[in-house]
Amino acid sequence: MSVSERSAAATGTGESAMLARSFRGAVRRNAPGYVFLAPWLIGFLCLTLGPALVSLYLSFTDFDLLQAPNFVGMQNYVRMATADPKFIAAMRVTFLYVILSVPLKLAFALAVAMMLNRGLTGLPIYRAVFYLPSLLGASVAIAVLWRQLFAADGMINSVLAVFGIEGPSWISNPRYSLYTLVVLSVWQFGSPMIIFLAGLRQIPTDMYEAASLDGASSSRQFWKITLPLLSPVIFFNFVIQTIEAFKAFTPAFIVSGGTGGPINSTLFYTLYLYQEAFGNFRMGYASALAWVLVIIIAIFTAFSFLSTRYWVHYDE
Amino acid sequence: MSDEARVLPGQGSDHPYLRSALSHCLLMAASFVMLYPILWMLAGSLRPAEDLFGGGASLIPSQVTVNAYPQGWFGLQVNFGHFFLNSLLISSLATLGNVFAASLAAYAFARLKFFGRNFWFALMLGTLMLPYHVTLIPQYVLFLNLGWINTWLPLIVPKYFAVDAFFIFLMVQFFRGIPRELDEAAQMDGCSPWRIYYKIILPLSLPVLATAAIFSFIWTWEDFFGPLIYVSDMNLYTVQLGLRSFVDSSGTSSWNELFAMSVLSLIPIFLIFLFFQRLLIEGIATTGMKR
Amino acid sequence: MSNFTMDRRRFLGAGLGVASMPLWSSVPGFAADGAQLRMVWWGSEERARRTKEAVKAFEGANAGVTVASESMGWDDYWPRLATQVAGGNAPDFIQMDYRYMFEYARRGTILPLDQYMGSALKIADFGDVNLKSCSVDGKLYGANVGVNAFGTIVDTAAWQDAGVAAPTYGTNWEQYAEKAAAYGKAAKGKKKYASADGSGNENLFEGWLIARGKSLYKDDGSLGYEPSDAAEWFKFWAAMRKSGGCVPADVQALYKNTIETSPLTLGYTASDFGFSNQFVGFQKMNKPALALTAQPVVANGKPGHYLKPSQMFSVYAKSKVPEVTAKLINFLVRDPAGAMILGVERGVPASPAIRDALIPQLDGPSSEVVKFISALTPYVGPLPPAPPQGAGEMNAALIRISQEVAFEASTPEAGGASLITEAKSVLKKG
Repeated sequence: MSVSERSAAATGTGESAMLARSFRGAVRRNAPGYVFLAPWLIGFLCLTLGPALVSLYLSFTDFDLLQAPNFVGMQNYVRMATADPKFIAAMRVTFLYVILSVPLKLAFALAVAMMLNRGLTGLPIYRAVFYLPSLLGASVAIAVLWRQLFAADGMINSVLAVFGIEGPSWISNPRYSLYTLVVLSVWQFGSPMIIFLAGLRQIPTDMYEAASLDGASSSRQFWKITLPLLSPVIFFNFVIQTIEAFKAFTPAFIVSGGTGGPINSTLFYTLYLYQEAFGNFRMGYASALAWVLVIIIAIFTAFSFLSTRYWVHYDE
Repeated sequence: MSDEARVLPGQGSDHPYLRSALSHCLLMAASFVMLYPILWMLAGSLRPAEDLFGGGASLIPSQVTVNAYPQGWFGLQVNFGHFFLNSLLISSLATLGNVFAASLAAYAFARLKFFGRNFWFALMLGTLMLPYHVTLIPQYVLFLNLGWINTWLPLIVPKYFAVDAFFIFLMVQFFRGIPRELDEAAQMDGCSPWRIYYKIILPLSLPVLATAAIFSFIWTWEDFFGPLIYVSDMNLYTVQLGLRSFVDSSGTSSWNELFAMSVLSLIPIFLIFLFFQRLLIEGIATTGMKR
Repeated sequence: MSNFTMDRRRFLGAGLGVASMPLWSSVPGFAADGAQLRMVWWGSEERARRTKEAVKAFEGANAGVTVASESMGWDDYWPRLATQVAGGNAPDFIQMDYRYMFEYARRGTILPLDQYMGSALKIADFGDVNLKSCSVDGKLYGANVGVNAFGTIVDTAAWQDAGVAAPTYGTNWEQYAEKAAAYGKAAKGKKKYASADGSGNENLFEGWLIARGKSLYKDDGSLGYEPSDAAEWFKFWAAMRKSGGCVPADVQALYKNTIETSPLTLGYTASDFGFSNQFVGFQKMNKPALALTAQPVVANGKPGHYLKPSQMFSVYAKSKVPEVTAKLINFLVRDPAGAMILGVERGVPASPAIRDALIPQLDGPSSEVVKFISALTPYVGPLPPAPPQGAGEMNAALIRISQEVAFEASTPEAGGASLITEAKSVLKKG
């Protein structure tokens, strides 16, 4: 080495030393993040990524669960796009379900959360009562309950009869059956309600006090204080509820008895997937269906995130 | 801080009693609607079997029999108390792992800068989108190779690796609502990220941690597909598996026992909810969030 | 049922056992020289109780053999079994169903049992019919657990109240329609309709086709009927709906192939169609006394009934102890020590010897079932050709198209045509 190189090496200003230093710096800067992320990262790589990639591979095979899978290329995707009327029915039913149930559910959840946040007597009881239906999520009893409510001689029609309206058999008529499932979803608004409550609780009261002193009406306070400060939570509930609605399975399964009927009117996408996988022994095709759903949900979520800059306020 | 004192200023009115009475009426009517199906289930657990399906939607049983409760509790090969204990154990362990691991990951996403953060965040969200029926088989084979079949390990261990992205996302949203000035002040005092996490973020996040605990507990309690696939031994059954043993759609089902045990199984999760919602409601309005 | 004792000590012991056990795998059996075998079935709690008792008797008679058993409801059974098969981890002893048997046998998942006939399996006295009904492509794949036939379940009191003679053995389809219409006019009270809408019921449709000389499928796996047959079928039920003889579309759409959702149980009709081994369940869920009789027949037609296995017991192809499993199967279906415990809960035993031994102990509804099978047996036809791959989808298609016709979204002729078109694409996929 030349004299200049030797002295550069000694004082640590040579190229390799600077690279080493910047590398060490990078490690030091990124280390805390990765240390905190480590449990999730390990779980993701070992427990989630592997099975997800396998299911992606299976979507290009004719896997029937009982025998080894054979590669068939794009066959499943082609069938989905060209020769599957049930796929189209399932998409239509699912989109309709998402569009109807998510806004309704969120609206109820927010309205009730705001009411409950105001300090009434008996508040804890009401809070618990409104959450109770959400505890019955996967219960087999729901199928029986819903039929008792929405059949031609069920309770809803008894109530309607008081007003002189003769209701149809909501739950077994293909024109209305999906709405009974929307009602079921909205009935279980307890989960987003609790999250809204937690979010409302995080808004400091002194903001409201200051606004009152300035003479702001309660409606103005809602639009100028509550909504903006709650927006990260609203965004969360919106994204999560939409993803859940796209993936909804249990309500349709137990209420329609796994059939998606009558006449495919309750054929949720994941129910169709399940029928293909376990009923018709076409797990390869079901995997393809699943990945198409992932893409649809991902597109929707990406747009949602892009929209946050217009309406979601983070304190950063 | 109690529930009562949360009346926001500027929301009083000239007719406080009328307003309050109206609110109560509305809430009580809504409560009845919310509770009706559960009341029907309770009534069903007290009716004789032949009356269950032909009788329409009435809430009052024509004949009250409490037989379904002991029959449901002791009638299966293993008594139901076992299932309650199992579910309690599994749900508690899973919740502990979930809340802790998710908060670590959420802190990283919300507060720390590191290379590839957005990329991992997107992937994390991506895990929410895949329907579980398709990853079911590969995961089953994975756990089969690990020798974890017929144990509770597949139900508990993944939670300690924050496998439920829902909770990470939830906490990220809440952490981002905590003012950065607190972090910055602590940093200037020389605090490490761990200290900031432990001493500042966590205490200020009690509402969301309580929320996550409630959801995690209840969802693990309600989960049946996981236990269905991974648990064969009846002694290891959870409450949901026990409930489903009462129903066989190809033949006769024990509906009274199902309703009776379903009513009972609502009680522990309801109690968990009541317990944790105290934490949820102990807001942070008095803990120095003045701006 | 008071089979329980509130034994605190046992509870605590079990609790401690559970607390210490769960995090480690179920310990493999440490039977000295014996086999360890896993078994699975679907069914109710009653079936589980009987089966476990019988299995205990088997363990007692076969020292060194331990059996670990699992059971669950029908809906959960198939996804779970399929998952286990996909992992290569299915139980040795598998309860099988007629339709699924073809899928599992043709994919090599269950074992042909011919090699055990005469040695571990002594079921020759089941007779050709009951052995053939559990065979696929000429090989025996399961032991027939119960003989079943499709019939009509009748609420005799309701028919009496309406002053119309209930359908019975030998009632033909025209008479059935007349009776139903007469009932509809005469009935007061909630049970306004005589009959369920059978247009979407594949078993009923099959009985009607066979009686007319057709069938659901041919031996080569193609469809065994024409669009005109399907159209005529849909037309018959459209007429029934119009005359008030059977329930309207939105009531029939409540039916999810379970006893609880049957229009009979829900209180709309005075009869419904079902398999004989569902009769006991029907009686349990219905207050009035029920009777079991044959399906309507086709005047001057062939016999439309046939004897089907309600379920069968099979052996997993990858089982390490197939011979012991076959022995257990034999114990449960042919050895009085086991078969008497199982009783007729799974169906009428295929072995005449066991059947005769059971008759004295049967209660009302169960003996009604045995009487029905015995009365029907001289008049049944041969087993129809085996369902091809895609048969399950065709069943779903029939239900859906029948609903389209019933809700008047389609006409009987159009419905018949679309059923055939759908069959062509479904069955071709194979």
